[in-house]
Amino acid sequence: MINWIQKIFFPSKIQRKQSTPDELVPEEGTEKVLNGDIQSIHAEMNKAFGKSADFKAGELKIGGKRGFAFYLDSMTDSKGINEIITKTLSDPTAKQYRINNEEELKGFCREFFSASAYQIISYQHELVWQLLSGSAVIVVEGIEGAVSIDLKTSEHRSIVEPSTQTVVRGPKDGFVESIMVNVSLIRRRIKNPHLQFEAFQIGKDTRTTVYVAYIDNIVNLGIRNEVIKRIKSIEANAIFESGNIEEFIADKTWTPFPLAYNTERPDSIAGHLLEGKVAILVDGSPFVLSVPVTIVDFFEISEDYYEPFMMGSFVRFIRYLSFLIALVTPAFYVAVITYHHELIPTQLLLGIIAQREGVPFPALVEVLLMEITFEILREAGVRMPRAVGQTVSIVGALVIGQAAVEAGIVSASMVIVVAVTAIANFVSPVYSFASASRLLRFIMILLSAGFGLYGVLIGLVAMVAHLSSLRSFGVPYLAPVAPFVWEDQNDVFIRFPIWGMKKRPRYLDTQAPIKQPGSKSPTPPPEGDGS
Amino acid sequence: MQVIKIVSFVFLLSFLAGCWDARELGDISVVTGIAIDKGEHQRYKLTIEGLNASELNAKTARGDAPSVVYALEGDTIAELSQKMNAGISRKLIYSHVRTVVISEELAREGLLDFLDFLERNREIRDDFIFLLAKGRADEILRVTYPVQKASTMKLAVQFRMMADHWGGDPDVRLKDVIEAMVSPGREPVLTAVRVQGEKEKGNAVDNMKKVTPDALVVLDSLAVFKKDRYLGDLTIVDSRNYLLIENGIQLTSFTVPCRKGKDMAVRVYNASSKRKVKYKDGKPHIDIELFLESRLDATQCADDLTRPETYVKYEKLVSDAVSRDVESTVKRVQEKFKVDIFGFGEDMYRQDFEHFEKVKDYWNEEFTRAKIQVNTSVMLRRAGIRTKSFLTEKQ
Repeated sequence: MINWIQKIFFPSKIQRKQSTPDELVPEEGTEKVLNGDIQSIHAEMNKAFGKSADFKAGELKIGGKRGFAFYLDSMTDSKGINEIITKTLSDPTAKQYRINNEEELKGFCREFFSASAYQIISYQHELVWQLLSGSAVIVVEGIEGAVSIDLKTSEHRSIVEPSTQTVVRGPKDGFVESIMVNVSLIRRRIKNPHLQFEAFQIGKDTRTTVYVAYIDNIVNLGIRNEVIKRIKSIEANAIFESGNIEEFIADKTWTPFPLAYNTERPDSIAGHLLEGKVAILVDGSPFVLSVPVTIVDFFEISEDYYEPFMMGSFVRFIRYLSFLIALVTPAFYVAVITYHHELIPTQLLLGIIAQREGVPFPALVEVLLMEITFEILREAGVRMPRAVGQTVSIVGALVIGQAAVEAGIVSASMVIVVAVTAIANFVSPVYSFASASRLLRFIMILLSAGFGLYGVLIGLVAMVAHLSSLRSFGVPYLAPVAPFVWEDQNDVFIRFPIWGMKKRPRYLDTQAPIKQPGSKSPTPPPEGDGS
Repeated sequence: MQVIKIVSFVFLLSFLAGCWDARELGDISVVTGIAIDKGEHQRYKLTIEGLNASELNAKTARGDAPSVVYALEGDTIAELSQKMNAGISRKLIYSHVRTVVISEELAREGLLDFLDFLERNREIRDDFIFLLAKGRADEILRVTYPVQKASTMKLAVQFRMMADHWGGDPDVRLKDVIEAMVSPGREPVLTAVRVQGEKEKGNAVDNMKKVTPDALVVLDSLAVFKKDRYLGDLTIVDSRNYLLIENGIQLTSFTVPCRKGKDMAVRVYNASSKRKVKYKDGKPHIDIELFLESRLDATQCADDLTRPETYVKYEKLVSDAVSRDVESTVKRVQEKFKVDIFGFGEDMYRQDFEHFEKVKDYWNEEFTRAKIQVNTSVMLRRAGIRTKSFLTEKQ
């Protein structure tokens, strides 16, 4: 489809002009070696970083030779520069050290920089790279190669409660923008050397660090390889958020349903990894992806497993119900009041007629008016500056709740329908899944206005057909319901007690299908036993 | 490609269905009552009660008429039902019909062919109450009532309550009537109603403003039919007994003399019946066994209710009285109407098929000379929250 649109609107081949400068990714065979000509290197660096205010190049003396230290003020720790470089170089023993070749440079580093992470680099683009990732690089006149000392500032937002998936009972820490912190949050939960993080740099311009995490003796290797293959094949210029990755690796673009799970909760990700899924962490994003995903995952939240299993199962039922309510309530209402009056109890029908007496619009217009007003309010609620937050809620409550009804533009029952729908939509634990029903709701409304309940039914049938055509990394989206997997039913509609869930989901086909073979229900000692 | 498929799929849908039966709520009137009379010039006169919804909603009510009653004459009810816009502004929907009333005159002449329309129509469902009006049927629709306001809404509630709590209404539906009409072993009955008070004053909002409305639709009697012809009435006590025999009620009350000039009342809260019909000496024998569970609701006799003997005595009194009462109802039907409204013929069809086949063409005559035997066993389980009556102290 997209290809089509491209063909129609851009008949000639799009001119691909590489925006990435050569300093970062030189073409094969044209890499420049650091040859010890520090003046020219200095000039090249000045050219590369141009007028950047944070680019610093300081001349210094090292091992009896002239040298340059390059770093980016913004990325490095100024205290570190001071402590490690300035202090070390002014040390009397260091001053006496002589560097005449690369070997001696390495020796110098071993002696004086061993406390910090350093490495010897030999290409000019590597130098640029190191600067960009927060290192200070020292070049010495006449010596091939350069020393790069990691002085990255580790500044990040402190770990706070996730803003999207809040729980009553359960850990309150959430992922942050720093990928290292995120890794540590997962590692702390799974102390297992088999938990591995493979790193990739994605994005021509941004070179964003992306980690693919899995437990290598559990994960289905086919799925893991597929994830890595798809990640490697991403050709994007910028990755800012895991959502960007999600769009590149999804099995299908033309679907309102998310084909990767995203969460801010480290415990959810840890749980998924232990089930045998693959997690994708993106530097700069607090949302971590987990694949493959099935539709039932979107009705679950880690809290289900922390509450007693009966409660966990009950709220799960409520979530399924809410999804349906959010999807079809307005459509059902429109269908019933325009086509199927016989379905409404007489008293209720009279009540609705009396309320609608004087409403000038047909039911469809009325419902679209309300739904769109609500969507506008909702969007405004997310986007508005926090300082004016009150305004939106007051205007919204008054406009939708009261004034519209009093003015006779909409009926009170329609307000109830829209409100119930809206609330039900917020029940979904994963925001991006809730937006699917938010979008499909409008299609349902149009179908119901045209065809009554028949249209609603056709819409639902089409939706289920579409759902069953979806795959997430080869796993059917409706698994384990369709295809039906009996063994996996212990965690779908009813959450079994933890000790009753002995196996990993079969549809993931993991290397270790059984996770806790010996788990038993608690057996209290017989009465009178014990002391 | 997929998208094209789906779009064309949805497009094709519009050929299968469409907005042809879409009706906005602002364009419809809910009909809850239909009354059918014999027309003056043409065969039928159809009267409908279309509700004024905003009057029936506590918030929007302004004290206007709760419904609009309009009548038209014609030869078929089916056509008339669609022609009502001659006088009514909105499209009428019949799916919420609560009450259908037919007039006495129509029933006497057996002009019930329109039942086919009621049965055939896809909108009307078989959950309305079916009534016979003593007098004209349209009058029944023209009586307002303070609570439900519209006449037919009131009747629907009233007769359900009556049927549930005492049993004076036989609770027949259209289906029951039609089945009884075509069954050789049963004849139809209907609930008969009449307007009590000043009919002309019922037709106004003012009727709702009095604690004793000027006009009121009341339960009158049980109308007995032979096929589609109305024969006459039984009292509502007979109607209750009819339901007891039919195994059709759970709750009812009896007043039984416990001493000369003194009565007691029992509340039956569980009732069941078994019927046996067989031929003996060339004559049908009908055995009705009633089983009643009850509690004592009131007594005017100063008997000691702490003693089991009193209960035994009372049970005997009640069962004798009930047997007598029920038997007399059946006898009255045998003598006065000579039709089997109880469906004993259907019992016989099941219990003694060979004999029934022989007599089914003249079963009503056979029923008339049948010997009736009623056995009642009454269980008096409790005596309310007072064991010793103050009446015993008084003496």
